[in-house]
This record gives sequence, structure tokens and C-alpha cells, in this order.
Amino acid sequence: MTGAPHLVRGVDHVAYPTLDPAATVAFYRDALGFPVVHSICAVGWGPEDHPDFIHFFFDIGNGDRLAFFYYFGYEPPQRGVKGDVYARFEDDIPDFFVASRHLAIHVDSEADLLEYRRRLDDSQWPVELQVQHETIESIYTHDPNGYFVEITRALRPVTPQEDLDANLTIDALLDVLRAERPTMDALLARKAELILERAADWSAPNVATGVSPR
Amino acid sequence: MSALYVLDVPENRPVAEVAARDERALSLRRVGPYFEIVFDREIVIDRRTTGCRHAVWYSSVAGTREARITQWDKDSLRLESA
Repeated sequence: MTGAPHLVRGVDHVAYPTLDPAATVAFYRDALGFPVVHSICAVGWGPEDHPDFIHFFFDIGNGDRLAFFYYFGYEPPQRGVKGDVYARFEDDIPDFFVASRHLAIHVDSEADLLEYRRRLDDSQWPVELQVQHETIESIYTHDPNGYFVEITRALRPVTPQEDLDANLTIDALLDVLRAERPTMDALLARKAELILERAADWSAPNVATGVSPR
Repeated sequence: MSALYVLDVPENRPVAEVAARDERALSLRRVGPYFEIVFDREIVIDRRTTGCRHAVWYSSVAGTREARITQWDKDSLRLESA
């Protein structure tokens, strides 16, 4: 812990390139109903070989924005057989890796999640997957650019002990990464040491235990 | 002695409860917000008995002491003393 104040306030914007701004607008504005809130028409930007571009933004709630760049007259060569318009991969790259990068947008309730499910299912980009993990429920699809998009709701609030656990996990990970071949076994062993060192004195008020020792 | 650590969140409690019922479980105690299940040689947790679905099941182990996981699939989690 640095003790420095945590001053940031969420996502201002995240930006992706698009080769198909018409479909991008159809997906985010027309199908999902995310308002267009800002755009920049940039002419003669930067060095001479920089194409003119439109930088446009959708409101994704909470004042946060999802932005795209469309570059006039530029289309990168599409190498590879899977991935999105920004990152292409050959067939030897496993799907778990290709699908790992995604954007998850939060909703507050099941009704809201199902409303976005309905909007997507009525569009050209129906929900590909709806999953209820025990603590979250999510719907997934790919946008017209091939970007993996999730809309998710929490089934319960994150508890204080989960924040502690996350920090012990990361500290254990940093420790085991020093080994030549880091493994989950090594991480769980190191984490047990950190639990004994740091968790015993931890307490959160009003957290019931439910299980009593034998 | 070998031990398994499980974070106390609602979804994980059945894992700690089922582990503690194994005849090779020697003790169940709290270490802060974790359950510590000390066991002798081996412990097996049946997933269906816990009622856990897969997302929680495969992330329910917080730590292992002097033990290694020798089975962790949709049926069982097995730890053996190491």
C-alpha cells in the first residue's frame, strides 16, 4: 500500500478503431440505445501520412464513454483467421486467449440485463451466451468489429473479505512469478502463508460466519 | 500438518462444511475471514454434495499448506499431503 489517495473516478473513455462505422453506430446507438455524446472531425492531424479521422463517443452510463476511431481511406491488411479488426490471430492461437480481452458494461438489475438481451436479440447481433455464475450474471455478444462485449449485473455486493483475498492473491502471484516456472500449486502454497501472516488479525464488522468449528 | 484454506463468502461455505465432514479432517477453525481445514494425508470434497456450480467450484480454494491438489474436476476436489 502506498497510502496515496485514490483520486481517479472511473473510465473517461476507452477507444477502439473501427473499419465499419455504419455498423458500429447501428449496434451501439440504434440497437443498444447508447447515445452519441461527442465526436471529433480531425483533418490534417499529426504527420503527413496520418489519415483524416472521426473520433466518436457513445455514452455507456455513469458518465463513462466508449469511443471509436474511423480513419478515412485506411484499412489494415487482415492477416489471420480469428480475432477482431484490431487484433487478428492465426488458427494456432487458442480461443480462450483470443476471447480474453473484452469490455464489460454494468447494469443494476435483472430487468435491465434482460432489456439489453431483448434489444440485442432483436438486432443483427443477438446474445451469443447468457451465463449466471454464482455471483454475477452476464450476456455476451461480438460487436460488428469483432470486439467481445459483455453486459453484467452483480448478484450480490462484493464483500470486504474478497478485497483482502484479492490482495493476498496478487501478492502471492508476484512472489511466485520470481520462480522459473510459476504454477497454481506454488501460488496456493504461498497464499496460505500470507493468510496465516496477514489474515488472522483481519476483521470486518457485521460479517456473519455461518459455519461453526467442530 | 496439511491444510486447506477457503474464503468465507456465502457461496464457499458449503465447500468448507463438506470438507470438514471428511473423516480425515482433523479441525476446522477460522483464520480471519478464512476457514482453515486441517487434514491428515488426504481430503476429498464431492462437488455435488456442496451444491456448487462450476464458477464458484473452480475458484473456491484460497490456499494450501503442505498439500497439493491431485484432482479438481466437476466431480471432486482432492488434496493430498505433500
